[in-house]
Amino acid sequence: MKSEILYPGAFPMVRIELAAGEHLKAESGAMVASSPTIDVESKMEGGFLGALSRKLLTGEKFFFQTLRASRGPGEVLLAPTVPGEIVLLDLDGVNEYMVQKDGFLAGAEGINIESKMQSLSRGLLGGEGFFILKIGGKGMLALNSFGAIHKIELRPDQEYIVDNSHLVAWSATTSYNIEKAASGWVASFTSGEGLVCRFRGPGIVYIQSRNPGGFGSWIRQFIPVSE
Amino acid sequence: MTPFSPNALCFGEEFPAAGAPCLVQIESDGLTVTYEPAVSTSPSEHVLFTGLAVSAGGLDYDHLVLKWGEQAQARTLYLKHPDLIRAFREAAPDHLSQPFEQAAERVRQVRRRHRATWGTVAGSILAVALGLWFGADLLVEMAVSRMPVEWEQKLGEAAYKDFLSHQDVMKEGPAVKAVEEMTQRLVEQIPDNPYKFQVTVVKSDIVNAFALPGGYVVVFTGLMKKADSGEEVAGVLGHELNHVLQRHGLERIVKSMGVMAAVAIIVGDQQGLIGLMRQVGVELLTLKFDRAQETEADLTGLQLVYRAKIDPNGMITFFQKLAEKDEGRVEWLSTHPMSSARADRLKAELAALPKRTPEPFTFEWSAVQGVLGVQPVATP
Repeated sequence: MKSEILYPGAFPMVRIELAAGEHLKAESGAMVASSPTIDVESKMEGGFLGALSRKLLTGEKFFFQTLRASRGPGEVLLAPTVPGEIVLLDLDGVNEYMVQKDGFLAGAEGINIESKMQSLSRGLLGGEGFFILKIGGKGMLALNSFGAIHKIELRPDQEYIVDNSHLVAWSATTSYNIEKAASGWVASFTSGEGLVCRFRGPGIVYIQSRNPGGFGSWIRQFIPVSE
Repeated sequence: MTPFSPNALCFGEEFPAAGAPCLVQIESDGLTVTYEPAVSTSPSEHVLFTGLAVSAGGLDYDHLVLKWGEQAQARTLYLKHPDLIRAFREAAPDHLSQPFEQAAERVRQVRRRHRATWGTVAGSILAVALGLWFGADLLVEMAVSRMPVEWEQKLGEAAYKDFLSHQDVMKEGPAVKAVEEMTQRLVEQIPDNPYKFQVTVVKSDIVNAFALPGGYVVVFTGLMKKADSGEEVAGVLGHELNHVLQRHGLERIVKSMGVMAAVAIIVGDQQGLIGLMRQVGVELLTLKFDRAQETEADLTGLQLVYRAKIDPNGMITFFQKLAEKDEGRVEWLSTHPMSSARADRLKAELAALPKRTPEPFTFEWSAVQGVLGVQPVATP
């Protein structure tokens, strides 16, 4: 399996070459184009209950699509729904990433995806909801973001503050706490930051340069009100 | 060459930030860490237990963290695999087992805290749901008691006019006069009556009578034909007037609107709320009272009839008549769950009241029924 990002920037696509018999999982609706040798299957990852819990809990799609090179080698083009960068990671079987619910684009067949419940404070205040995806295993993993993806590398015990709505993915070896952005509650909210996550290394945190929720409320003012 | 299968992540100055995958093997005196050939200049290193510091780390404190070395040679190892952690626990010497147990205790604490908070949240959600379920009646009563009578009248009036517009209303005659007399005698006995009662006779074979909020009462001629005396009809009227006085209709509306509003809020459908307001009108005409409300109206109705010096036995005999099975299906039964137990309860209630001589009505019931088209039956 070979993958590359085409048109890096705001409107990228991923081109993945599959050898005969290889397959990959992708977010439902992610496929843009493919060779005629590729079959698209819809699969409930983790069985019916797993798929149902993922749908209900994380808001991820009920079905992942499986793209299988069943009739010989071929390539597929994949793209996310929102404008924003794509990052390709190579999982080694030891590293695990926590991914917020819209961040998953595609993964090789060796990738495991499960939904994981966060602690109450993180779920309530972290901005990713109570359930996130935990992705491990071995092989290629493609994540997508809203805006550009920025990688923050943390050394052991190094700390970094991230606005909670800008999170895309983070290693399982990092930990984080939710805090107020400023020392007082009022200042926290009037500064426009509200709550932030204090990450502690070691590990990697991927953040997106735009905040989907913020963008949504910005665009809402231009939508004509019906009735 | 055998494929390299790492089981842990090692962090250090010269390693990538995501951690270097490495293979950890536990031995009797320490551990051997083997790195991927490309990552480190020294392919493997042996660390003695004496040089290790133990703690718990990671997102949910579910990793075992081992640290050794200083400055540029500082290493942090993250172990996740349960088998590996178990092997470490068994091999670790005494001076490490204490910090190890502390780390394990920390993990257990975190998990317990998670369980406790989720338990509390689930518990309080359940408590609120149960509270709403069982406290609903109290809330309804509170809401109803705050609504002014004028609202009730407007609500009832709209439905009343709408209903009468498709009905054949009897405007005058002995039947109307008789009903007016009964109503007047009953209403006189209501202390501080905020309602202006309006009773209308509708030509229909349905054996029924109903009351709308605000004091609008409809009596069908079918019911008057079925009754053997004015007192029987007065009993039914007493019952219906008390549905109004106890604001039963309003209670039902608030209750069903509450459920529908809750559904609309949950579903998030504003259009539904508008439809809901229209639904109220329909609801008024299909208004059904629940059993507790019926019983309340029965008892207070009986007392009203008694105070008006109308023979309360009329009410009881009429209910009994309706309860008799050989009467066939009577309309009143469907909206007013009838049972002989209901008549019996009234009898017991009546027995508790001191005997009183009833004052008869001024009209002749057989004349009223004659107008309605009932053939006089020879009394046995």
